[in-house]
Amino acid sequence: MDAGQQISGLLIIGAVVPLLMFVLLAFLGPRLGKPFASFPAIFGILVSFGCAALALQRWWYVLTDDERVEAAASAYSWPWVVLGDIPIRFGVQLDSLTIAMYFMVTLVSSCIFIFSRGYMSGHSDEVDGVSKYHRFFAYLSLFAFSMLGLVISDSLLFLFIFWELVGLCSYLLIGYYFDRKYASNAAIKAFVVNRVGDFGFIIGLGLVALFLKDLSIGGAIAAFQSQSSGETGLFARDTAINLFGWYVRGDIVATLMGVFLFCGCIGKSAQVPLQVWLPDAMAGPTPVSALIHAATMVAAGVYLVARIFPLLTPGAQAVVAMVGGVTLILAALMAIVQTDIKKALAYSTLSQLGYMVFGMGMGAWVGALFHLITHAFFKAMLFLGSGQVIEGCHHEQDMRKMGGLWRKMPVTAFTFLVGVLAISGVGWPGKNTTPFFGLGGYYSKDEILAVAWFQTYGLSAASDGHHAGNFRERATDPLTNAHGYDSVILAGYSAEEGQHQTAHAGLETASGLKSDASLQPWIPKWLVWLAIITAWITPFYMMRVWWLTFMGKPRDEPVYHHAHESPGMYIPLVILAIGTFAASWFLFRGLIVDAAQHVAHISKLVVPLDGHEHLIHAFSGPALNKLVWPAFIVGFIAAFFIYRRGLKLAERIIDLPVVEQFYWILWQKFYFDEAYNKLVLAGTILFSRICGWFDKWVVDFVLVEGCARVVKGLAFFSGQRLDAGGIDQVAENLGRTAFRIGDLFRAVQTGRIRNYVIYTAATLAVVISVMVWW
Amino acid sequence: MFTAIGLTHYLLLAAMLFCIGLWVMASKRNAIGVLIGVELILNASNINLLAFARYSTGGMNGHLIALFVIVLAAAEAAIAIAIVVNLYKNFMSVDVDKAATMKN
Repeated sequence: MDAGQQISGLLIIGAVVPLLMFVLLAFLGPRLGKPFASFPAIFGILVSFGCAALALQRWWYVLTDDERVEAAASAYSWPWVVLGDIPIRFGVQLDSLTIAMYFMVTLVSSCIFIFSRGYMSGHSDEVDGVSKYHRFFAYLSLFAFSMLGLVISDSLLFLFIFWELVGLCSYLLIGYYFDRKYASNAAIKAFVVNRVGDFGFIIGLGLVALFLKDLSIGGAIAAFQSQSSGETGLFARDTAINLFGWYVRGDIVATLMGVFLFCGCIGKSAQVPLQVWLPDAMAGPTPVSALIHAATMVAAGVYLVARIFPLLTPGAQAVVAMVGGVTLILAALMAIVQTDIKKALAYSTLSQLGYMVFGMGMGAWVGALFHLITHAFFKAMLFLGSGQVIEGCHHEQDMRKMGGLWRKMPVTAFTFLVGVLAISGVGWPGKNTTPFFGLGGYYSKDEILAVAWFQTYGLSAASDGHHAGNFRERATDPLTNAHGYDSVILAGYSAEEGQHQTAHAGLETASGLKSDASLQPWIPKWLVWLAIITAWITPFYMMRVWWLTFMGKPRDEPVYHHAHESPGMYIPLVILAIGTFAASWFLFRGLIVDAAQHVAHISKLVVPLDGHEHLIHAFSGPALNKLVWPAFIVGFIAAFFIYRRGLKLAERIIDLPVVEQFYWILWQKFYFDEAYNKLVLAGTILFSRICGWFDKWVVDFVLVEGCARVVKGLAFFSGQRLDAGGIDQVAENLGRTAFRIGDLFRAVQTGRIRNYVIYTAATLAVVISVMVWW
Repeated sequence: MFTAIGLTHYLLLAAMLFCIGLWVMASKRNAIGVLIGVELILNASNINLLAFARYSTGGMNGHLIALFVIVLAAAEAAIAIAIVVNLYKNFMSVDVDKAATMKN
């Protein structure tokens, strides 16, 4: 048993144990009752976490780079079915990204499962006298299984299956309080909106199966590379592909395929225009919001984009970047006006997911995934903190009634503050490019921004010769080229990727960037400004949430009076806070960079890697230090001055003429829901009316009744005219004729033998006469 | 005029006999009379058979058939008389014109 089998086996066991716990809870849950039903689920996820820790330890600390490549090749993989000529296998995608995601998911899940035990015990959850407590943990376990399966799948089809399973768990858990109308509505909304995205995803899968003939991630990427390289491949510019009777240029089909696959991410990661379900999903219990709708499931969309990244063309990538860019700023603006603590966090989640997708679109593969990991930790912590607040305040979610809670729940207030600092990107730049101190977003979000800035302004600056010296210097540096990344990435912008990996070629292609910058024209410059503006909004709204909740004077005496916190629930918060620090500094970025190397060898659209990142930092660092770094200070101060005396100043600001209108637009969530109500719902109703009209007048009246009348007329015609008038007359006349003939002959039949004798004789005479004289 | 008697004379005799038989069958209302007419016709045919056997084909075929005809005539007469008896039983008469009830 080699290392690959060991590690992939651990990952599979870690995924299957929660499934077993789900089965156990599904059958025995009602008997276990309220506090005990949570124990199998917690046990299961802790086993998973143990497996994840073991796998991580072996993968990252025992194996060397070469051994990792071998281990990845020998991971478990079983054939499942053969569809046509496409073999489908279920196997473990063993690489650093899987390990990082798996470890993050199990760690965050463990904290949230433990938190849930306390949180859910305090809730009355009985429907018709039966507790739903065990169901909650059954669903959580099923979710853990599905999410881990999604992370380890090496086939797009299995990824899709687990993708749908997490969607199902999301639906079940949003609708956990299904006896309340808003929760069941929110669950249905989430499920239906996700279907829209998944519909695109499955079309993308169909295109992959159709054109690449392989649904495994590695196989599809290899097929894509061979099809899109050169001028004769399927996805070449000059190839015409017959797409259901339409001839489409090959590179357009490739872009479409990428965009359709990305549709899955739009739904699952709640990107514009399908972002409407995520805020409503807060109707679920708070641990669910923390686990599924902040840390793991919604990030699966970003994970999907990371996995299919080499299948994206520059055009598809530009779509990804634009969707992410629009989402991140819209969500951040909407977050400002929220009064519900969970809704505010939901919009900040949307915004951060937008950052990740935007980063993917900009080629910041490492930055986006790093942000996914750090965000998972601090956002899970923020949500659990809000859960602690909601639980402590007896289900009060309105921040306007809170305030001053830090005296009652200091640990929660502190951990929440850590989350606020992390999401705001608090940090202190040190000398050169190494930060002096930073937390969460300071590394991950700023890496995305740095790459985006580099993509937008760095390449053109380099080709203008302004910074070309910097590039030359880097490209000829034998140390960086020893890794081969510089030239790969720089050469990647020319068509001859991989042919020239020498320093000299790197130099040539670097100076030839202007003519070959295939990525650049696709991505508009304003996108990076959206991200930078949002970086200024984020600290403001996060500090607003924290200040309104924990600082200032209590605004509602009963709420404040009851507020309390309990160690069973704040210990996971502390663990996640420590995790936030650790994730910012250790381990995860290294893992992701390791995974990125493989992607960078394939895709020419990935930008930042070790060795190359100095280049980006050298270019983007000074600019971003001025443009983004002061954001958190300004945001925090602004939030402090507006909200330090409660809501009065904020209310006065809202009453200002232009602000008021803008506030209403934000409060109405940019009228997305209204637009969908008008377009989709009203459209559906209108369509149903049209269908009804069509049914009543065209189908019923023209077709059914018309047909009936025609048939009736035909029947009348054939019965009365044709049959009675024609056929019957003929038959009757035939009969009459036969009668007449019969009468005629009957006259001959006199019954007298003597007559017959004469007839016979006469006939004989005639016959003989004829025979003789004829 | 009185030349040797040949085939023609026999045929004339047979034709005359046939015509007499036919006339008897058509004119007699008495069933027995009709039977006699039938016998005359049969004998006319017998004469024909024998005449042709003598003058035309030769051999004994004609004679044999004539013998058969005689036997058949006897059988026919037996049946016919049985019919006549039944006719009489039903109609109390042997007038064939009265036995016209199958008309209509």
